[in-house]
Amino acid sequence: MVSAIPLPLRIAAWVFVAFCALLLIGPLIVVVGVSLSESRFIAFPPDGLSLRWYAQVLSSDAYLAAGWLSLQLAVLVTVSATILGGAAAIAIHRRRLPASEAMATYFLSPLVLPTIIYALGMLMLWSAFVGPVSLLTLWIAHSVIAVPYVVRTTLAVLADSDPFLEEAAATMGAGRVQRLWLVLLPQCLPGLAAGAFFAFNLSFDEAVVSLFLRRPGLTTLPVHIYNQLEFSPDPAVAAVSTIMIGLTVFLILVIDRLVGVQKVASN
Amino acid sequence: MTDRRENLILVAPGLLLLAVAFFWPIGQMLMLAFEGPDGPTLDHFRRFLGDEFYLTVLWRTVRLSLLITLICLLIGFPLAYIMARVGPRARLWLIIMLILPLMTSVVVRTFGWMVVLSRSGLIPSTLRDMGLVGRSYAIMHSELAIVIGMVQVLLPFMALSILGVLLRLDIRLEEAARTMGCSFLSSMRSVVLPLSAPGILAGSLLVFTLSASSFVTPNLLGGPRVQVLAASIYRQVTQTLDWNFAAAQAVILFAGVALVLIPYIMLMRRPAHG
Repeated sequence: MVSAIPLPLRIAAWVFVAFCALLLIGPLIVVVGVSLSESRFIAFPPDGLSLRWYAQVLSSDAYLAAGWLSLQLAVLVTVSATILGGAAAIAIHRRRLPASEAMATYFLSPLVLPTIIYALGMLMLWSAFVGPVSLLTLWIAHSVIAVPYVVRTTLAVLADSDPFLEEAAATMGAGRVQRLWLVLLPQCLPGLAAGAFFAFNLSFDEAVVSLFLRRPGLTTLPVHIYNQLEFSPDPAVAAVSTIMIGLTVFLILVIDRLVGVQKVASN
Repeated sequence: MTDRRENLILVAPGLLLLAVAFFWPIGQMLMLAFEGPDGPTLDHFRRFLGDEFYLTVLWRTVRLSLLITLICLLIGFPLAYIMARVGPRARLWLIIMLILPLMTSVVVRTFGWMVVLSRSGLIPSTLRDMGLVGRSYAIMHSELAIVIGMVQVLLPFMALSILGVLLRLDIRLEEAARTMGCSFLSSMRSVVLPLSAPGILAGSLLVFTLSASSFVTPNLLGGPRVQVLAASIYRQVTQTLDWNFAAAQAVILFAGVALVLIPYIMLMRRPAHG
């Protein structure tokens, strides 16, 4: 097939791909570049090379507090979203529930609603019935938007699994808990793990819900970066951002190992 | 214990979480939009539709979202086509090229654009050096800046939606068209484009809704003068603290998005059955 495409068109195609790569990855490279700058001003290409901004970030109470909050939050969200989403996906997959299809749509609905509308609703509800927002508010809200990802990755893995394994286990006398724990769970594992890493990444990077549900002392890392960008960006912001990019690269590699990036992407 | 009981126990916690913490908040917001000092009212909507400023904001949101969707489509379709036709190794790299920005925090990506587009940034100063623009030329805090930033943020959604369809498309159809004497362009027009229409439509609807509802990138790149609807909602909540009015604007956004989303959901459900 490739040979049927004329040479000039193939060259044009590669130039086009290079342009897309520049558009998509360029801004990230710029951020990494700025973080290595020696001067106090944001400049790209950077003036000189130094790691002083990383040192500054690691000794700044504001960044460390925001980073610690984001990390706690992301771990909590990962645990809750994986358990709730995984359990729901198993039940939906078995198709023995009334309205299995509708149930799947129900669980995926936070994916299609714009996050800003949800964030506003959550802020209003919490303020009306509970009081000031707290880590618990963020935990619940992030879990809501992370659950659909776990449901989706787990359902995708289960779709390829052997439906007769569970029946076989039942015939051989395995109880309900044994079937769940020893037969279904190992089958779900790659999907659950991929969903868990998605949930972690989502919560750690999330800015919209966190911007609405914030108060002094409840500033996650993306919110702190947003504030810095709005008022006084310096290369330290770039250093934090670079650390976050590094984390994302790591998570993508892990997800690729677990289920294959290609499978997740074209789903 | 019956099968049904076991499955209900498995699904219940998630069901409850979404009911209490997803659908209830949305209901609460819808209610507040119609709430006035003395009972239910449409005043907040009247205020929005009667104010020139907000109508400008609404029109800008629609216009920019359409433009962003169109540009994403023009770049995303050829990109997805190339991705579907290269070897698996090259495709993996291209998918990573799409996923890496997709999974990076939106504040970080926008920061990169702030550096490149700022007054002394790479792009304006290059244009100035080449003599293409005047000395006072700036991109930051303009609609152009919003469009550039948003295209980068949303392009992966478009390209991946189209790629999903193209990968399922039987390559022999295209080969048949070529053997029968179609040129590359006409096989594109009469075979590939019609068959990938579901992916194009799904990607466009997704990009349009995401673009109409984002505020982080438009706020940072457009600044306070060039507001879009979502940015205006954020400002009402955090600065003027007029929550009822913010809720009314969210309802307007919600209604607009629902018009676009309902066909999207119906489209997404179909392949699950087939």
